[in-house]
This record gives sequence, C-alpha cells and structure tokens, in this order.
Amino acid sequence: MKILLINGSPKSSISSSELLINALSEQLGSSNEYVTIRAMGLSKQEFLDGFTGVDAAVVVFPLYVDGIPSHLLRLLYESKDELKHIAPNVVIYAIANNGFYEGEQNTLALNMMRHFCNSADVQWGQGLGIGAGGMLSAAPIGAGPLKNIGAALKSFSHNINNKISKDNLFAQPNFPKLLYKLCVHLVWRQSARNNGLKRKDLYKRL
Amino acid sequence: MADILIVHDIDIKGLDLDKDKYAIFQASREVKPCVGCFGCWLKTPGKCVIKDSDSDFAATIPHMQEVIVISQLTFGGLSPNIKAVFDRSIGFILPFFCSIDGEMHHQQRYAKRPSLRYLLYAKNISDEEKATAQKLVKANALNLGADNYSIEFYDSAAKLLEGLK
Ligand SMILES: Cc1cc2nc3c(=O)[nH]c(=O)nc-3n(C[C@H](O)[C@H](O)[C@H](O)COP(=O)(O)O)c2cc1C
Repeated sequence: MKILLINGSPKSSISSSELLINALSEQLGSSNEYVTIRAMGLSKQEFLDGFTGVDAAVVVFPLYVDGIPSHLLRLLYESKDELKHIAPNVVIYAIANNGFYEGEQNTLALNMMRHFCNSADVQWGQGLGIGAGGMLSAAPIGAGPLKNIGAALKSFSHNINNKISKDNLFAQPNFPKLLYKLCVHLVWRQSARNNGLKRKDLYKRL
Repeated sequence: MADILIVHDIDIKGLDLDKDKYAIFQASREVKPCVGCFGCWLKTPGKCVIKDSDSDFAATIPHMQEVIVISQLTFGGLSPNIKAVFDRSIGFILPFFCSIDGEMHHQQRYAKRPSLRYLLYAKNISDEEKATAQKLVKANALNLGADNYSIEFYDSAAKLLEGLK
C-alpha cells in the first residue's frame, strides 16, 4: 500500500503531529510505501500531487479553536473537487491532537474531516483524537505515560492497513490531569520568563 | 464607539451599516495563517505577533458587546478565511487552564466578553453539517467565555444579507 502522511501542524519546530506521524508509520510497518508532506506553505496543486497513486491518507493536525487549522482547511477546501480524480480509491484517516487533556475535545474537528470526505466523495476511514498533546514529547509514544497513545495508534493502524472504516477513537496519556495542568503552566511561565516577561505581564488586558 | 463587530467573508459593499454601531472586519485570503508560536500568549500577551491587517483583531474583541460571524459553512465549520482570523484570536483568552464541568478549558483574560452570533451560508446544507456547526458555536462560546450565542443558517450569502438589513 502507498500511504500519504500529511503533517497539518504549521509549526516549523518539532510538533506533536510530527511525533504522532513517526510513531504511526512505525506501527503501520515496513511493508507499506510512505510519502510525508507538510501542509503549511503548500499550493493546492502540490497538496493534490501528494495524493497521486495513494491508497490511504492520514491527515495529522493540531486542534485549533475546536476545528482544523486554517492553512490545512484551505487546502482541503480548495482540493475537494479534484481529489477524487487523483485518488479515486483513497481512504482518508485523521489524527487530531489538542492542548486540553481530553481527547474527546477533538470530536468536532474529526467530524469536519468526515464532512470533507463526503463533500469530496471519497471514503472516510476513521478519526483518532488525542488529548494532552503538550506532553507527547515527554516519553517515547507507547511507553510510560504515553502507553495509552501507543495502544490507540495500534488499533488505528490496523484499520488503516486494512482500509477499514470505523467509529472514531479517543485517547489521552495515562498521566493525571492535574499534573498535566501544573506542568503546562510551568512551561508557559518559563517561556514567558525567557521572553523577558514577568508573571503578571501574561495577564495583560488591551 | 462601535460595539458590534462583524467579521465576514463576503462582499457586503451594498450594505449600509451605521459606523457608530458596527465595526467591520473583512476576512480575506490576505490574512496570514497562525503559525502555532503562542507569541500571543508568551511574547506580546493578547496580541498576535504576525504583522498584517489582522494584527489587532484579538484586542478589539473585549470592547464589543457582540461579535457577528458571517461565514460560508465549510465541512460543518467556518470558512478558511474566517478560520484564519479565529486561529489568530486566541490571545483573547489566557494560556492557563481551568476546569468547566469536569472538562479542561482556558481561563479568561477579560472580564467582559461579547456574545457570539453565527450567520452561516451554503447551498444544500446537510443535517449532519448543521449538527456539527451547532455544536461548534457552543464549543467556541465555551472557550471564548461568551455567555450568549446563537446560530442561523442561510442557503446563500444574498439571503443572509437580506436578513441582516
Ligand atoms: C491557534 C490555536 C488554537 C488552539 N485551539 C485549541 C482548542 O480549541 N482546544 C485545545 O484543546 N487545544 C487547542 N490548541 C492547542 C493545540 O491543539 C496543541 O498545542 C497541540 O498539541 C499542538 O499540536 P502540534 O504540536 O502538532 O502543532 C490551540 C493551539 C493554537 C496555536
């Protein structure tokens, strides 16, 4: 199978989406051919070209304001009428990761991906929503606090490898919510300090 | 001063709106996409660091009573042009988490927050997309701390404008 992996994070630095793509392709195994593209900065044509000869595509993106990041949404919108001609048999899967703890908060964005497939008239496979995306670099995915994520990726990749359509899956790290919150707050305060800001500056009203 | 903000992705030239009451923001392709840098939280709190027509958008929201969003319904959500504006507006809220009904959300930066009114247009809107959009406005209102929100659907931008007159 030829599988297209689309990184929908606009970040130029290492993103949670990229970590998920790496862990997913490992799970999917070495018998497939993989093509990975970053959506940010692509033209519609470059985006569509990525789908040439593809059996399955996985769109991996961060949740932005309960939806799909605008640069990726634009590419999906602009490609919807031509996609079917380029990859008539493609099955589309999606992984959304979010900053809040609960993976279920990705439900609407994954629904939007399904609506995209309906509108492009291609087959929707399955969505996977992953919470506490801020800690995906805390351990190798599949180990320690990210064991849950590894397990979810395993069933998800089984469905991709067999081009199965299923209901969405959700997961978050096996790590307490309160601790996650404290860690993220610590990271915010530290980054602000590195930017020369005081704690109270973060609360500024304009 | 205007206290109703209309952010839209259509041609509203023909619409004669009272400038003392309405502030209007055209969401166009020119609005650059969010790059996920969190600068609006950690570098210039409350304001997006990208320089273009959208730079000050987030800072105008707290001065409004109401934000009216006119958008093409796209896959059950907002259009790419409107979404670019929304993605770059998270400086309106704080980076810090809180818990609402057992779910994680953000703390609010501003005490006073406008209500949200979504006017969405598209041809042949399916029930499924409608249901997603109805949940979206609710989720957006929760994260943006809007106590009041509403949503209306139209089958064209022209009909929507008729309703606005
Ligand atoms: C503009 C913007 C909007 C966001 N909106 C949400 C949101 O609505 N809910 C949420 O849980 N996280 C939200 N987040 C957090 C991201 O989803 C989270 O940081 C994610 O792990 C980033 O993934 P990435 O590293 O692959 O880009 C938002 C982040 C940004 C920059």
